[in-house]
Amino acid sequence: MNAVEVSELTVRFDSFTAVDRITFAVGVGEIFGFLGANGAGKTTTIRVLTGLLSPTEGRVRVAGRSFADGARTIKSRVGYMSQRFTLYDDLTVSENLAFTSGLRKIPPAVSAERIQRLLRFVGFNHSPSALVRDLPGGLKQDVSLVAALLHDPDIVFLDEPTAGVSPAARSKFWALIRGLAREGKTIFVTTHHMDEAEECGRIALMRAGRIIALDSPAELKAQSFPDPLLEIEWTAGAPAGWRESLLERGAASVVPYGLHHHVMVNNRAAWDRFVGEHTGRLTVRTIAPSLEDVFIRLVEGADR
Amino acid sequence: MNPALLAFLKKEFIQALRDKRMRLILFVVPVVQMMVFGLALSNEIKNVRLAVQAVPNDRLAHKIGERAAESGWFHLVPADDAEPFELIRTGRADAVLVAPPGGLTRALARQSGEAQVLVDATNAIKARVIENYLNAVLYRVLRDENPTRAPEAAVTFDVRVLYNPTLETSAYLVPGVMGLILCLVTILLSSMSMAREREMGTFETLIAAPVAPWELFLGKTMPFMILGLADVPLMIALGVGGFHVPLRGPLWALFLAAAVFVGTTVFIGTLISTFAKNQQQAMMGSFLFLFPAILLSGVMAPLENIPAAVVPLSWLNPLRFFVSLTRQVMLKGTIGPFYWTNLAALGLLGAAAATASVQRFRRTL
Repeated sequence: MNAVEVSELTVRFDSFTAVDRITFAVGVGEIFGFLGANGAGKTTTIRVLTGLLSPTEGRVRVAGRSFADGARTIKSRVGYMSQRFTLYDDLTVSENLAFTSGLRKIPPAVSAERIQRLLRFVGFNHSPSALVRDLPGGLKQDVSLVAALLHDPDIVFLDEPTAGVSPAARSKFWALIRGLAREGKTIFVTTHHMDEAEECGRIALMRAGRIIALDSPAELKAQSFPDPLLEIEWTAGAPAGWRESLLERGAASVVPYGLHHHVMVNNRAAWDRFVGEHTGRLTVRTIAPSLEDVFIRLVEGADR
Repeated sequence: MNPALLAFLKKEFIQALRDKRMRLILFVVPVVQMMVFGLALSNEIKNVRLAVQAVPNDRLAHKIGERAAESGWFHLVPADDAEPFELIRTGRADAVLVAPPGGLTRALARQSGEAQVLVDATNAIKARVIENYLNAVLYRVLRDENPTRAPEAAVTFDVRVLYNPTLETSAYLVPGVMGLILCLVTILLSSMSMAREREMGTFETLIAAPVAPWELFLGKTMPFMILGLADVPLMIALGVGGFHVPLRGPLWALFLAAAVFVGTTVFIGTLISTFAKNQQQAMMGSFLFLFPAILLSGVMAPLENIPAAVVPLSWLNPLRFFVSLTRQVMLKGTIGPFYWTNLAALGLLGAAAATASVQRFRRTL
């Protein structure tokens, strides 16, 4: 059985369609990445899957529960770490966790043991009686994660969990996410960081309320770039109009990347002639496409 | 007890008592306000400066002046033969008694004559009070001088002022101010706390948990009712101990009224918070309610002064009923039909506020 099953899910606010007939499933124990620009419908989808928002149309099953069973049965099985900071900064770490335990009606003995274990799991080495507002950003995220895990959920939804966190804290946080997945928890995560997306088992790319691509990072790269991707650099200045002539003669795309350009070739003979014409002024390397290349291509494709 | 409600109680108490500003609102503001209202906001006018403009041998005119000074409300200032109007204009006197030409003593002997009183009415209320005091003094003096021909000898009033025989304004104001403070504290506390959850994003934590809407609603209202009620003994102690306001009725009647009132105001505060996205808006909304509520409550000005068109509005004002109830219990002390009808009216308003805020609250979840 899948942890999350969504079919033809649509969410409308008045006349605005935030999520438009999306269908996907997430397997148990998977790390599922959810990508897309702000406003693409990621957070709305997560709010449905965590029982906060009723779908306008479509079917949703989360941890075997559907909205027909009541939103609360969904809420009791999922953990949610919202994009916004959801701890009380005028309460201490232990007061925050005690409040969450009480709110979720976890028996005190169970919650005491879990708080201990989870704080150890995230490597929290600060005093639990410190006010949350006095903690550094990374530690706040750790405590938020503990709060989201207190009721031992089957699925954990993390909405941009590493936004505004230092790179060191980010990589540590991802080690925790992998640890949770190994324990058998399903992780559903949104991010804007491509290196984080690479960590996911599968990723879905959302655009304007629709899922425009869904697969493993490797598979997405292979599908989007059937032809080799080349990185070129003009060592002695680029001739005027080269991009246009290259696109006419046999390149599927030419995308600038800093001082370089990434070129996707679909007519090898034409490409070889082009390189021949510019020998000495052009260095060419074959590269593996990054997820960023993939998304630029996918989004361009969707726009066309 | 329901663990979610218990968690809310603990959390709200910690938050309210840890925050310096909240502690101030809860415990210092009530005391300061009681002091200010009880001491400063008094309708009594003392130390009125009275000048008597009369020839030295006008015994009667000077006697009126002496009597006025003896009453404690006035003290005499020398007239110095100045123009009476000048005395008022330059602010040397608040009132000037001007004897008729030839003197009041002779006027009385003639059985006719008029004395003039000039009163500084830049403060209209003060002028009215001075006028009444002087009339009373004049009446007394005339009766003493001429017992057989007292002006209104046929019928006289023997006024006995009940419940507040010395007409202490603090006895009248303090019970009202207690209601006012309780209203202010509970509305601000409840509306700001909920708005804070929305503003900070912690509202997500609340609604992501599998709690029932009623648990959330009670969790965000009950703690403030309890905190508000904690102010009641503090204010009663200050009113009775500090301002000698009598407490003639039973304490339970006062607490019952306070409980119903605080319930109502916390529901109103929650209702206000459902329209607010942040604490600032909640504060604005609260004052939008508080100002008319205070003006139409009878705390400062008698309800009888409210224009007829606005009277129905005052029936929607929980503060109005609570102030009537505290005065009834503290000053009169009788728990009769008046108490119960006012309590019932307050209860009805509470039920209406509860219904409205539950409805709005559910829609904003």
